Amino acid sequence: MERKPQERESKKESGSVPFPEDNYTHNIRKAGERKLDRRGFMKMMVGAAGIFAVSTLPWGGLAAKELAGIGKRRYEPAKIADLNQIGVGEAVEFAYPGKHDSALLVRLSDNDFRAYQNACTHLKCPVFWSKEQGELVCPCHHGFFDVKTGKPTGGPPQRPLPEIELKTEQGAVFATGVKRYET
Amino acid sequence: MKRSWRGVIYLALVLFLSIIVTQQTVNAYFYERYQLVLVLCVINILIFPLALLIYRKERDND
Repeated sequence: MERKPQERESKKESGSVPFPEDNYTHNIRKAGERKLDRRGFMKMMVGAAGIFAVSTLPWGGLAAKELAGIGKRRYEPAKIADLNQIGVGEAVEFAYPGKHDSALLVRLSDNDFRAYQNACTHLKCPVFWSKEQGELVCPCHHGFFDVKTGKPTGGPPQRPLPEIELKTEQGAVFATGVKRYET
Repeated sequence: MKRSWRGVIYLALVLFLSIIVTQQTVNAYFYERYQLVLVLCVINILIFPLALLIYRKERDND
């Protein structure tokens, strides 16, 4: 039903904002179009700085945890082999700490043992001990590792092999821990 | 009154610094430089009151 012009006028005078008016543009919301003024923008930037500040806290916490050594993993000691089973210059394969974490123990002299997890740090091929070359060799892409330190000496691998901590006790060699895999 | 964009520019610089420090914190963590992580973390936390200070100063000048 068509309203009379006077009625429309009286609604305009009623004082409610926005005054009830029959047109098709009332559903266009303009609320908030002036919210992001200069001060609002500055507030937003301060808030963003706060969020960044808070977001560094977990990293700080993790770093503090690493420095305090709380998160250091403990591994159960495991026997690798008896001393009389390994000749000097020979190597034994074993698995440590898990049964799928293959590793290699090399006897360099009577009392000098070295053990590394022998997944090549290039593409995880198994690394072998080459007695002739005196080096750990990855046959896939001719990667070489220094047997004394585990550091790569040639070929594609860039990171050292993770060393396994050893102890000799009661005529046998035990693995007691794994050094961190460098990334 | 002529509006001043000084506060906005300062805050933009501070926020930029904040972003850089956050990124460097994450990088330092993955490079296992944990002391550096702690230092950057403290810097980033100190940056926030600085931003707040700049904002308040600008607000009071208006």
